[in-house]
Amino acid sequence: MSAYSVNISVEAPVENQIQEITYDGQEIYTPPLTMSEHLTKLAQKIDFAKCGPEELNKEITEIDKNEDEAEQSTAPPLWPWDSVRNKLRNALTEVSVLADVLSIAKDKHYMVLDPVPQEPPELKPMVQVYARKKALAGAASVLLSGADRLKNLQAEALRNRTTPDFHIELLRLRQNFRLKKVSNSIVGDLSYRTAGSKFAQNGTFEVTKAEEDGDSPLSPPCSPNASLSNKPTSALRVTVPSELQGVAFIKVFFQKDQDSLTAAQLNLPSSSTANAIPDMYWQPKLEAAQNVLFCKELFNQLAKDAVQLQSPIPHIVVGNQIIASVLPGIQLVIGLCHSGVSTDGKTAVVPPSSNGHDHVLEHSLHQLLRELHHKNTHHPFPHPSSGPIGPSKRRRLAGPCAADREELMQMTQSETMLEQVIKQAQHINLRDRTLFVLDRLAKDIKDPLITSHWNALNSPTQSCVKINIVAHMYDTICRTSLLIHVNETTLKCITRDGRVIHMSYESQELRDFIMCQVYLHQMTAVQNLAKCMGWQCLANSAQLGVGAVEPFGNASSCVLASPTGERLISVRCEPKSGVHVTIAQSPRKDFFPGQLVKERKWENLGGSFKEVRWDKMEGKNFLNKMELLMASLTSS
Amino acid sequence: MGVTILLSYPVPENKTGPQTVDLLIKRIGALGAVQSGQFLVDCETFSSGPTMGGPPRTVHVLHNSEQPAAVFALLESPGPPPKTVPLVADGLFDLLMLKMSSIYASKKQTRMEARGTRFEIADFLVKIGTVTMSSNFKGVLVEVEYRPCFIAGNCWELMREFMQSFLGSVVQNTPPPYFQVHNRLNDVYQPLDTIQQYLDHFASYRKVAGL
Repeated sequence: MSAYSVNISVEAPVENQIQEITYDGQEIYTPPLTMSEHLTKLAQKIDFAKCGPEELNKEITEIDKNEDEAEQSTAPPLWPWDSVRNKLRNALTEVSVLADVLSIAKDKHYMVLDPVPQEPPELKPMVQVYARKKALAGAASVLLSGADRLKNLQAEALRNRTTPDFHIELLRLRQNFRLKKVSNSIVGDLSYRTAGSKFAQNGTFEVTKAEEDGDSPLSPPCSPNASLSNKPTSALRVTVPSELQGVAFIKVFFQKDQDSLTAAQLNLPSSSTANAIPDMYWQPKLEAAQNVLFCKELFNQLAKDAVQLQSPIPHIVVGNQIIASVLPGIQLVIGLCHSGVSTDGKTAVVPPSSNGHDHVLEHSLHQLLRELHHKNTHHPFPHPSSGPIGPSKRRRLAGPCAADREELMQMTQSETMLEQVIKQAQHINLRDRTLFVLDRLAKDIKDPLITSHWNALNSPTQSCVKINIVAHMYDTICRTSLLIHVNETTLKCITRDGRVIHMSYESQELRDFIMCQVYLHQMTAVQNLAKCMGWQCLANSAQLGVGAVEPFGNASSCVLASPTGERLISVRCEPKSGVHVTIAQSPRKDFFPGQLVKERKWENLGGSFKEVRWDKMEGKNFLNKMELLMASLTSS
Repeated sequence: MGVTILLSYPVPENKTGPQTVDLLIKRIGALGAVQSGQFLVDCETFSSGPTMGGPPRTVHVLHNSEQPAAVFALLESPGPPPKTVPLVADGLFDLLMLKMSSIYASKKQTRMEARGTRFEIADFLVKIGTVTMSSNFKGVLVEVEYRPCFIAGNCWELMREFMQSFLGSVVQNTPPPYFQVHNRLNDVYQPLDTIQQYLDHFASYRKVAGL
């Protein structure tokens, strides 16, 4: 055997030989041979013709000799072909005798062969008729059964237009779900494990062929409408585990403190239980089961976070609810609602829930879990060719960049899902509060006008609002703009002069701040107006130290003089009680020389200020009134 | 990571090393420093075998507990002109050195360590440690870090005053020689500068041992 040779084993094919193919195409196989049959078959293959008659004779004599010896010794047959040889030898003897007889008879010397007279076979016409009839009946039955099969096939093809074939459906299922064959059944997996989930619960389901119960094959042609009106039946039937059946979703809502601390079991509205019918089409059924699995994983993850998180007010996990405090007095409740085809047959009782469901938070919860899945499977690029895969790029660079302890500590910190959701919830709450306060102020204060513009682009934890304060008709004279960043628990306000003011989540702080800004706006506007009217601003103070103490902010004031200097207007703004306007004029009309001031020239000093009855003044708003007042004082 | 200055505190003749350290800890404690853990800087020296050819080269591999993820390696090239090639790598470098044991052999008996206590006092970080060479006491090192600043020249006066308050006349009025030799006074301070100061001090302790 050379070095390049290949071992080839030659074996008989495993299949049996085809003995017969019937008219309907059925193949009939020959039964497999037994050991002895196989042996005889092999024996048949021996070519005896190869041995010539002389050799044969020689052999026969040898065999005879051997046989005699063998008979004498009565030893057991020495080799397996013993019996074959004996039979062959007998047959050879008989054939030799027959050949001898024939050769003798041919010469017609000693032996003559005479034909034996035979009686003719009697013809029975009836038997023939019956035989033909039987043969014809056999042929007819073969034809009929063939026709029947064709009919069935046609009927099935007709039905298949409405209900697809099992294999086609299996192909579709295979395109969307992972399937594998385990012995005789098909098992699928609907879990998110390939997408990066690490949830322990498995989501296996079984695929079986739906039996057609009570659906006779002859009915579809005569009643096509009946089959069309049926719900879409499928040749597939999927069986999902009982804990994944039904419909589930995550319910998120806010709860005011002391509203109800009772841990009521959250339940689904009964309307949605109706579609939990057991024989749904496989696609919605599997999708529903997948959703159940996803919700379960989400809730599981959140509950794990809630237990591990250390917070001043511990998060509570009761039954199928997680209660986390967001802001003082406001709690976030995350519940897992799952209505299955309950085994005990209990119907869900719906509590009259006044709490609205927060769809935005539910969506961001789903998003967070999907991000987590994505992060589990997608490692940041580029990977090092050596070294472990997994740590972030920053962590990998920490060595060569010689990062110190603090930086490394920061890298290890990551926010859990619950923390992120709580932050979003805090932001939503604070945004709503800010919105409410601003709208309320805009409604209450007509002079000046407060307008707020919310930025359309914002992040889940930060949004921004711009506030403009202007007076009606005087918007070119003075405009005060503010910018408020709404974060999770704090507000950051940037005024026009660049001052930054941080406020907490208490809405009263924002309210007071806006009120101060309103009165500051009035003072600035009055001074701008005075400039336009030719009046002179003698003094102004944004934080006035005299007068009654204000509950918030400070009173502000300014003194204006007319172009001739004979008239004075003093304006005092108090955030609490509003605006006071007083006027004085010189020379004063009520000057009477007294004992101390005798000379007439002192009348130019200006007299005491008299308050203007502001509510009786003409004018639409404060600035309009001021304009009219200045105009009248200038002219008189 | 701010500017760090490393000083060798001479052990008085009538005192032992631990006594000196205790004295310094007492002094810094009196200033209001708060203890915050331990620190360790170690230095292992590898030298090339005859397979490399040419004059033998030396590689110092240092670890600093302040930068736990990093390994510092300084290759002393004999020159001419003699120069030092610094390298900052991550923890896998240690394993790489083990693989190269046929080329660079470790000199176990020259392994040096500075180990001691870490103190925080306002913006300063003070480390007082004893230096040992293969568990033989060598001396006392004091490391002072001023964290808000990155330029040594800008904060030297401040640091000098602070250091003199508890180290006394040991502190010179001029910046340490390392900054003057390498002209690093007006550059941005880097973690490698700390390591090179340690290496300089370790080298001088070794010379003392040779005497």
